[in-house]
Amino acid sequence: MEPSAEVQPPVTPRLRQVGPALYELDRSFREDMLVPARIVADEELLRQMARDRSIAQLVNVTTLPGIQDFAIGMPDMHEGYGFPVGGVAGTLLPDGVISPGGIGFDINCGVRLLSTGLLHDDVKDLIPELAHDLARSVPTGFGRHGRLALGPAQVDRVLTEGVPYVVRELRMGLEEDLRHIESGGYLPGAEAAYVSVRARERGHDQLGTLGGGNHFIEVQRVDRILDAEAAADFGLFEGEVTVLIHTGSRGLGHQVCTDAVREMDRALSRAGIRLVDRQLACAPFSSPEGQAYYASMCAAANFAWSNRQVLTHRVREVFGRRLGAEVQPRIVYDVAHNIAKVETYGGRRLCVHRKGATRAFGPGNPELPEAWRKVGQPVFIPGSMGTSSFVLAGRSESQSVSFSSACHGAGRQMSRAAAKREVVGAELRKALNARGIVVECPSNAELAEEAPTAYKDVERVVDAVDTAGIARKVARLVPVAVLKG
Amino acid sequence: MEQGTYEFEPHTSEVQVHVEGTDLGALFEEAGYALAEVMLGEEPPEPPPSMEEEDVTLDAADTEALLVDWLNELISRTDLRKRVYTHLTVDEIDERKLHARIRGFTPDVLKTAVKAATFHGVDIREHEDRFLATVVLDV
Repeated sequence: MEPSAEVQPPVTPRLRQVGPALYELDRSFREDMLVPARIVADEELLRQMARDRSIAQLVNVTTLPGIQDFAIGMPDMHEGYGFPVGGVAGTLLPDGVISPGGIGFDINCGVRLLSTGLLHDDVKDLIPELAHDLARSVPTGFGRHGRLALGPAQVDRVLTEGVPYVVRELRMGLEEDLRHIESGGYLPGAEAAYVSVRARERGHDQLGTLGGGNHFIEVQRVDRILDAEAAADFGLFEGEVTVLIHTGSRGLGHQVCTDAVREMDRALSRAGIRLVDRQLACAPFSSPEGQAYYASMCAAANFAWSNRQVLTHRVREVFGRRLGAEVQPRIVYDVAHNIAKVETYGGRRLCVHRKGATRAFGPGNPELPEAWRKVGQPVFIPGSMGTSSFVLAGRSESQSVSFSSACHGAGRQMSRAAAKREVVGAELRKALNARGIVVECPSNAELAEEAPTAYKDVERVVDAVDTAGIARKVARLVPVAVLKG
Repeated sequence: MEQGTYEFEPHTSEVQVHVEGTDLGALFEEAGYALAEVMLGEEPPEPPPSMEEEDVTLDAADTEALLVDWLNELISRTDLRKRVYTHLTVDEIDERKLHARIRGFTPDVLKTAVKAATFHGVDIREHEDRFLATVVLDV
């Protein structure tokens, strides 16, 4: 049985509309709430959220010590653990908490968009070969190591230096890449010494691997330009071939989170503190536990950006081999989904947790690459296989509406088991092929679990982001080849 | 009497497992078998007899944390050693400590990569003659 509205607390009637596509559950809903819970959505998306436990999880987030203003759910929000997926919260530094459960096990899972400068019409006959070559170049199966196995000293340098090390020392990338990755591809707070031996062991051969679940590389065609000026600034044009890479920090990041949750849970137990949800285990940012986790989370984030950098290098190798060395897909931007960042709002330094959410800075933000400062940060909202993905540009209004955050995808609406019951993987593969979408995925069952019908309507989700004033639509992309782990 | 059972419960994005066992050891073994089934996509087979045995020793803040630690230990060893553990023997267990022997095998494909076991809603309780547990796996 799927979770149903009947067995959930009746929260939706208590939600009050406080802005365009913006709803609020005030503090009177539960006595332990320190701030209101807000949700960016339309009424249909709210109804979908009410079918699982995501709103209750968002309310739990409002109890975090030091939380400021509100906890906010993005329009793709769905049930997770600890924070809901699509949850954002800022805590006041120095003593507000940092919670590994507010970031997730796949630290800096994120997406990177490459633009190729190629017209789909010119290369469409080569797409099956390109997809096949990508599948051969990117290890996805169990037990298949990355082609790049690092020694312990190299792992440490990836953890502390991130993408600049991969580009300058491992020679996988271009100097200009560094200007088109969130935070330049590394967080300076990283300290490898705080990453456990086991985490480092799990990571040493995983750079350049995709992983499973909803991770993918998708070759796409720019189907429609929705904001000509912004699209031109981003270097996107109608009919262009793009590549979207979605993956994270792999086993290394998972182990970093596992280690931190365990340590923080123990510390809370020793102090006799019981949280409303143990997965919200946390520590004051300034405490030894908080600082140790922040340093290791930054290191895992650097590992994830480096992973997407190595995958970018593989994509470039494949395109270069098939289409000529002059074809060098360019990074539009790379955004993190699961991360905590220190940011300033209204003069307050906050630890902003984004779990299944992307940053969406508006025009003029000094943290943006100079090239995108005029138009605002590129925001990517991947659909699911067979549905559109969107490029948006962050708006200045996002600062007050959502701690400069947008959603990270369409958001699941159906459990994996239900998707498998309702979708026959082999038929889905045929249907996608019939629409001209090349599928490289070893398992029909896994294909079924990630079927488009398992996700919310991405167009509706993107409309809610646009209506709420977080980000504006720039371009719509449609898949032509999908490589799944 | 059957030593234990497990079943998967609805969860929008992760895998929630409900486990039963006649005692704590059986409960933990069943949780491990459920994890193996998530990874393999089918009921765990018997491992080849040649596969070496590994020892696991854990201590935790309480029994719920011990269950989460146990599953996370299996998950991280799977990632490190490319093995799914399908033969689990919990030799000693109390509220905070566990010693187990485990054996696994290397499958051709892993259907689902499990990132971690979570503390979200983790619950262990004794009911009549059985121990019951619920745990959510991040997949």
